[in-house]
Amino acid sequence: MNWAVNTPWALTGLLLALLPLFNSGMRTSPASWTALIPGDALSAFVVCCLRLCAVAAIAGLVLGIAGLHRTEQSRKRIGHGAHIVLLLDRSSSMDNTFAGHAPNGSDESKSTAARRLLTDFVKQRQNDLIGFAEFSTSPLFVMPLTENKNAVTAAIAATATPALGFTHVSKGLGMAISFFEQQPVTGSRIVLLVSDGAAAIDHDSEQKLRLWFKQQQIRLYWIFLRTAGSPGIFDQPEDSRDDNAGAMPELYLHKFFLGLGSPYQAYEAESPDALKQAIADINQLENLPMHYVERIPKEDLSAACYSVAAFLLLVLFGVKFCEVKR
Amino acid sequence: MSKLLKDYRIGCLLAALIAMLVLFLYPSKQQKSPTYNYTFIIDITRSMNATDYQQDKQAVSRLHFVKQTLRELLRDLPCESKVGLGLFTERRSTLLFEPLEVCSAYTEIDTAISKIDWRMAWAADSNIAKGLLSTLDMLKKSDSSVIFITDGQEAPPVNPNYQTDFSTIKGQAKGMIIGVGGLQAVPIPKFDSQGKQTGFYSHDDVPHRSSFGQSNLDPSQMKGYNARNAPFGSEAATGNEHLSALQETYLEKLGAESGLAYARLTDLKNLSRALKNPKLATEKIVQTDIRRQPALLALLMLSLVYLPRVYLFRQFFSLIPRLQFGRR
Repeated sequence: MNWAVNTPWALTGLLLALLPLFNSGMRTSPASWTALIPGDALSAFVVCCLRLCAVAAIAGLVLGIAGLHRTEQSRKRIGHGAHIVLLLDRSSSMDNTFAGHAPNGSDESKSTAARRLLTDFVKQRQNDLIGFAEFSTSPLFVMPLTENKNAVTAAIAATATPALGFTHVSKGLGMAISFFEQQPVTGSRIVLLVSDGAAAIDHDSEQKLRLWFKQQQIRLYWIFLRTAGSPGIFDQPEDSRDDNAGAMPELYLHKFFLGLGSPYQAYEAESPDALKQAIADINQLENLPMHYVERIPKEDLSAACYSVAAFLLLVLFGVKFCEVKR
Repeated sequence: MSKLLKDYRIGCLLAALIAMLVLFLYPSKQQKSPTYNYTFIIDITRSMNATDYQQDKQAVSRLHFVKQTLRELLRDLPCESKVGLGLFTERRSTLLFEPLEVCSAYTEIDTAISKIDWRMAWAADSNIAKGLLSTLDMLKKSDSSVIFITDGQEAPPVNPNYQTDFSTIKGQAKGMIIGVGGLQAVPIPKFDSQGKQTGFYSHDDVPHRSSFGQSNLDPSQMKGYNARNAPFGSEAATGNEHLSALQETYLEKLGAESGLAYARLTDLKNLSRALKNPKLATEKIVQTDIRRQPALLALLMLSLVYLPRVYLFRQFFSLIPRLQFGRR
């Protein structure tokens, strides 16, 4: 029970609630000698009740004026869901279509498709905490892990602005992993990487990423948006001279992810439909039991205070007509 | 009955009850109150690392100060106001998220602002006029006011022959330019790839003059001028571009050209006052709780009933029925 008031100084009004203890609030009738009147337990009880009514009515009004409310509560629950960091490629090529052209009326660009489908995905995942990061030449922290789906969709919508620079995937992954620091390990922890290209990762970064993925127990999903005619993640080099990270970064990034030792799944999407399929897959897979916190919003109790006070006032008013008149 | 009415307490209780009736019938009032919709575009170029602000007796960088002030401002904004966030570097800006309602998404906006870092810059130039134009162009369909926060340090310097033309968007844009930094030129810190400071940018680290396009200088005055091979002459340019100060006159000029107001960031109070400009506000009708007034009246009345021994007061009230009902 976390109760609080909006204006604490108004609580000094509670002193007024002491008034009925000193004064019965009733008209006095003259009596020749009060000692003559015999003591009556019932009368004493009724008077006491009436005074208490008055005390409660005054206290109710003061609490109402002070704005009594119950603060926002959180309740731990167990449900199905995950902590997901969406890591979106903002490199310039994302603004082209799957066919590699600038978008015209009929085909949407890769970023538009990703935006549309990710928004749907976020809306479906009710219990999840979702964070959002972007990367191009450098990583961008956008939205921390949050249950506020509006915030995540606002961040996804903002990617409608033109894309930036190049693909620097290792920094992006580092940024995405950093989201899980200081978060309890519960349910599954996912990094969902959506990109249309890859880049060679230098040795230092490789080692760091390996360590971090293990430490944070992260599952990685990579949705590779493949542009027509470009090498895919599952292609094998035809010429052994091309078998290096510089010529085939996609394949080598895939190999690196496979060697991470943490659960990893790659999807190659060559059209918006394939992207949709991949997202639906992940939606199905990631429903491990997890603890999550349900928020119960702040509840205003001043209305209840006023109602009680009004009722007691009515009682006091009614009782006034029962007084003996002389 | 008339005897009963002589008791002032009945009158007080009745008044209290009527007040409570009013309270339940009219609990709230419709009131116009200003709300705001800002998209903060924050300059994250290197010059924003210059430390010329003081906070808790420590020198802090411009960027740090901007972040801190915006986070404090966030607490000040009325609910239903919206805040979006974007970053500027190179020649353009990117939007991190579209405006979000400040009360429901306070933590998210606050965290996002706190995480802004100069290393998020995707390219290194600082072409403010072009950046401002492209930002205004990008957000012209949005109903949010663009708050462009920068120190006005163009790097590399702009060739006066190729100035940005704001005529296409003038008058359509709503917003402000907020100037950041001190008026005294200070050195710009230099960092290595690990984020450690390794000194300051020196005179030889930065270009001191634009060498783009046609020269604006008089050929006869230039040493070693050659129209094709050395249009800017053969002498190395000198200047103070490695030092940075708030370019107020330049930002005021940009503001005038683009139709935005200009204000300088000194502290939260001034920023808050500048941003709460009625031009940037939208009046929204909000329900205001007015239950307090009748409740106070009821409280007063009820307290009167139980106020101990106020003889004068009782006499005054006992007069009223006598006046009304006469000596019947």
